[in-house]
Amino acid sequence: MAKLILLLLNWIFLCCNVAAVFEDQVGKFDWRQQYVGKVRFSHFDSHMQSSKKVLLASESNVFAALNTRTGELFWRHVDKTGPEGNIDALLQHGQDAVLVIGNGHLLRSWDIGVGGMNWEMVLDPGSFRSACLVGHQGAVKHLAVLKKTVISLHYLSNGHQKWVENLPESETVDFQAVYSGGNGEVYALGVVPNSHLAIVVYSLEDGEITKQVSVEAPWLSSIPASCSVISRGLLTCVDSTTMSLYTLDLHLQLEMTQIPLQTLGLDVDPGFRPSLVSHQPNPAHPPLSEFLLQLGPEHHLLLQHNDGQIVTLRDYKPALLASFATAGEKTVVAVMAPKNKTFYLLHDGKPEKLHVQAFLKKDDSVGYRVMVQTEDHTLTFIQQPGRVMWTREEALSDVVTMEMVDLPLTGAQAELEGEFGKKADGLMSMVMKRLSSQLIMLQAWIAHLWKLFYDARKPRSQVKNDVSIENLSRDEFNLQKMMVLVTASGKLFGIDSKTGDILWKHYLENIPLNAAFKLMVQRTTAHFPHPPQCTLLIKDKDTGLATLHVFNPIFGRRSQVTPPALPQPILQSLLLPLMDQDYAKVLLLVDDQYKVSAFPSTKNVLQQLQETASSIFFYLADSGQGRLSGYRLRTDLSTEQVWEVVIPTETQKIVSIKGKRSNEHVHSQGRVMGDRSVLYKYLNPNLLAVVTESTDLHQERSFIGILLIDGVTGRIIHEAVQRKARGPVHVVHSENWVVYEYWSTKSRRNEFSVIELYEGMDLYNSTVFSSLDRPHAPQVLQQSYIFPSSISTMEATLTEKGITSRHLLVGLPSGGILSLPKMFLDPRRPEVISEQSREENLIPYAPELIIRTEWFINYNQTVSRVRGIYTAPSGLESTCLVVAYGLDIYHTRVYPSKQFDVLKDDYDYMLISSVLFALFFATMISKRLAEVKLLNRAWR
Amino acid sequence: MLSRGSLSRLWLFVHATFVVVSCFTDMEPGSGVGVSSQPNGDRFKIEGRAIVPGVKTHDWVSSARVLVEGEEHVGFLRTDGSFAVNDVPSGSYVVEVVTPTYRFEPVRVDITSKGKMRARLVNYIKTSEVIRQPYPLQIRSVGPHSYFMKRETWGWTDFLMNPMVMMMVLPLLIIVLLPKVVNTNDPEMRKEMEQSMNMLNSNPELPDVSELMTKLFSGSKGSSKAGSSSKSSRTVTKRR
Repeated sequence: MAKLILLLLNWIFLCCNVAAVFEDQVGKFDWRQQYVGKVRFSHFDSHMQSSKKVLLASESNVFAALNTRTGELFWRHVDKTGPEGNIDALLQHGQDAVLVIGNGHLLRSWDIGVGGMNWEMVLDPGSFRSACLVGHQGAVKHLAVLKKTVISLHYLSNGHQKWVENLPESETVDFQAVYSGGNGEVYALGVVPNSHLAIVVYSLEDGEITKQVSVEAPWLSSIPASCSVISRGLLTCVDSTTMSLYTLDLHLQLEMTQIPLQTLGLDVDPGFRPSLVSHQPNPAHPPLSEFLLQLGPEHHLLLQHNDGQIVTLRDYKPALLASFATAGEKTVVAVMAPKNKTFYLLHDGKPEKLHVQAFLKKDDSVGYRVMVQTEDHTLTFIQQPGRVMWTREEALSDVVTMEMVDLPLTGAQAELEGEFGKKADGLMSMVMKRLSSQLIMLQAWIAHLWKLFYDARKPRSQVKNDVSIENLSRDEFNLQKMMVLVTASGKLFGIDSKTGDILWKHYLENIPLNAAFKLMVQRTTAHFPHPPQCTLLIKDKDTGLATLHVFNPIFGRRSQVTPPALPQPILQSLLLPLMDQDYAKVLLLVDDQYKVSAFPSTKNVLQQLQETASSIFFYLADSGQGRLSGYRLRTDLSTEQVWEVVIPTETQKIVSIKGKRSNEHVHSQGRVMGDRSVLYKYLNPNLLAVVTESTDLHQERSFIGILLIDGVTGRIIHEAVQRKARGPVHVVHSENWVVYEYWSTKSRRNEFSVIELYEGMDLYNSTVFSSLDRPHAPQVLQQSYIFPSSISTMEATLTEKGITSRHLLVGLPSGGILSLPKMFLDPRRPEVISEQSREENLIPYAPELIIRTEWFINYNQTVSRVRGIYTAPSGLESTCLVVAYGLDIYHTRVYPSKQFDVLKDDYDYMLISSVLFALFFATMISKRLAEVKLLNRAWR
Repeated sequence: MLSRGSLSRLWLFVHATFVVVSCFTDMEPGSGVGVSSQPNGDRFKIEGRAIVPGVKTHDWVSSARVLVEGEEHVGFLRTDGSFAVNDVPSGSYVVEVVTPTYRFEPVRVDITSKGKMRARLVNYIKTSEVIRQPYPLQIRSVGPHSYFMKRETWGWTDFLMNPMVMMMVLPLLIIVLLPKVVNTNDPEMRKEMEQSMNMLNSNPELPDVSELMTKLFSGSKGSSKAGSSSKSSRTVTKRR
């Protein structure tokens, strides 16, 4: 019975604590953008005339089909990250697409119409070299996979192996390519670098070796880089040292014929490695006798092999990229010439690949569309007359860090604000200023009304709310912001948070591959005549050398301020709340000599720094040596070590350190208990949560540790160890609590644990918090729960004043983003309910947290591979803006305590007004009736 | 005094900034984890089939995935709804079919080091409890996900059935209708009513509220008259 009551109570709490989406809110303030990542292979689906699919296989292990008309996804399959899901090859035949995955470990065939899988095959171990489709007598039924030591042939229909053969002399010969010309033979081509070329011919039927030859080729080192098969089995290679083309008939000859490029009247650009491109439209037929030869970065040639002679058909210079495409019987060559330099300007990146789709028009002429891939991972789809149909910014599939910046005020708003900012100069002028600003606002309002009226007459489809940088302005509640996203490729984006439109993009070139990024807002839009300013710190992880990119977050343009050159490796960066005379926050950079430099470093700033130096502390963490150390700034901008904590690296390593967010506000200092006393929170802004993991990964001995350290004094406030647990550990640190999630190896489940810190029943010093003057250790409460799913990432909601209750936003591997009320993670949840706990609204303890699909803030708009969740406060206390990024980007608003400060969007205006009118008329009528009655009585 | 106050505020301020600092030591959580799989151990295959009753597989397989223990191993669904997750070392795993539209219950699959398979219900609290499930897995969808809350709709019936409204309307009905139903002119009835009133006013010593009020407001007229006046009014009603 007690349990039943408990359940009932629980249910009641659940019901009163919902933060779900209503069906009519779908798409109202949320949007999602789906990406695939940097494209590695692409194929136009050409087996059907009307098909509008293009298949993409990306470096993020994603295989997807796009709609060529709109650029949207038909379907997408996200494999696991890392080398195990790496896509090695994409082969397409008809309705089937075959992927070679995980260094030749798996073969997967997909039905491209449905998007479902046909079959999956596990291959024998061995590192993958090459794969090709094998056709015979006009039909393509097989697929050959070449590995380091074996070659195998599989049926396309079900993946079963037809035969597998060992490669002869595979210890010395490096087999690199496989070729089939549709004549019932499979050629494996190998090379012994700088010695000879090995050709092994297998029979298609039973895998028997029909021929095995080796050909002298001392100049050859890599087949895929310099060779290609053209026309009826003619292996053609190009070599830059001897400046020659070499040809070899695979059926007949035993020696290569050398054709010096001079005899063809050609020469290679100095220092350029020439390459060949051939084209085999159908695997059942030999390749075309025409091929492309690239002789320079901007020089391509179309050559033809004709009766043992090589003729130049056409010379393309300048040409950046060239590619073949086939439609029916016709083949076209598409060449991208750099004459339209605007292309560069548009996309801030060099074009890398050209994918051409050719199709037959109704009058049998060939039409074509082109998909261009540029260095910055952008895909641009261009139709024949040069019209851009769509662009996809695949760089956004790898967002590293982001910030949300308030939009600037409109002219009128700024005018009004300016009135308060300036010093008062006489009563009369103040009145005049006020009148003029009111007039401007009236004008703006009338213009707005006029626009509304004008738009209302037009059909709805024509009314477009064009957002451009020029007309961007802050809305009433500051719900619309500018999202500044930094991607791993070094491309920066500015996205309007309301619509998801990309308003600006900026490609930073020469970003090191393993760069770490840190984005800081130095000046917000609040200081009107000064433009807002963001600073991006880009650090090479290997060398530690860093560069600064300073830009305007609203327009994306590089700022006029020249950032300082940083010759020394940077260890740490701090954004101080100190401002220079232009209202830019001061950025401190600590180099490896423990010297501190400031940006901006004007006199004013240096003076302020000297004054406040004694109260500026920072910490450095070295996970390699397990050392955490705290430093203090001296007045001469040198530093002094204050404390050091060493975590023995033999047993454990530091995996993450989480401080509190600087823009977080805590509204209430304590919690009111059931007996009306107050339990004060321990709100230390300098507290760090340090997570360690054991180096021993055995499931009996592994553990994780949590250290709560005061960053100023180095005092360890609390230490907790979770035995028989391992990472990955996800931590959220906010207010007076730390929530972390880990994997319990003992019970094989995910568990949440929450630590809350309290000062006790009375505060030591209620006006100001100082780490140096807190003699009492806080009370620590902890409780753990079972969570029925693993998680990808975790973040807490954030609101402007911190009055709204907090929720945890948990990204799940299924793609859902769960909004879990912090109320459920409260160490004061009692096991036995008492009168007091009921008074306090504490939920009775239950070991398992429940995932309810109503709590998914993104309903069916799943976000693949969530890597981070960014939360930002809006102008409304009830509303928190959320951006989840991973492979996809999703933006929405959440209301952790429902919308208590605005009318709900289902507010029933009709009801209220009808009731009001009814009451009004009722009083009128009853008044009239009463009058009549009085009159009648008087007459009596 | 003032300067000290502002200084201490600044102190707090600067302290607050301290934590803004995030470390640049590039520590991605979870790096180096996942080495748990034994290097020598054999790899096995988890097989099964997912069924959504009444829906063609073509309509939902393209958005479905099979997740084994989070994203540790990933499998895809074939066009007929069956699936196989390859390369799973021995151990115990929670297998889940994930689609944005349909809900599937997770299943725990145990694989011994020899490759024997067993499927059972997931129970996170009693982890050793075994309630067998069929293997190869047969996972049947429980129905579509319910992501949305129902809006509170407003109708006249809801309004009328509201307890507050009921409480207001019912007495009103009684006040208006009762005098019409019960004939007050009937002397027997009146007697009965008076009796019942007396029953209610069981304590005659208790002062009547209305009398109290009249006493209060007509204090100047003297308390002695009050009783008589009320009596006279009663006589008036009798006369009518």
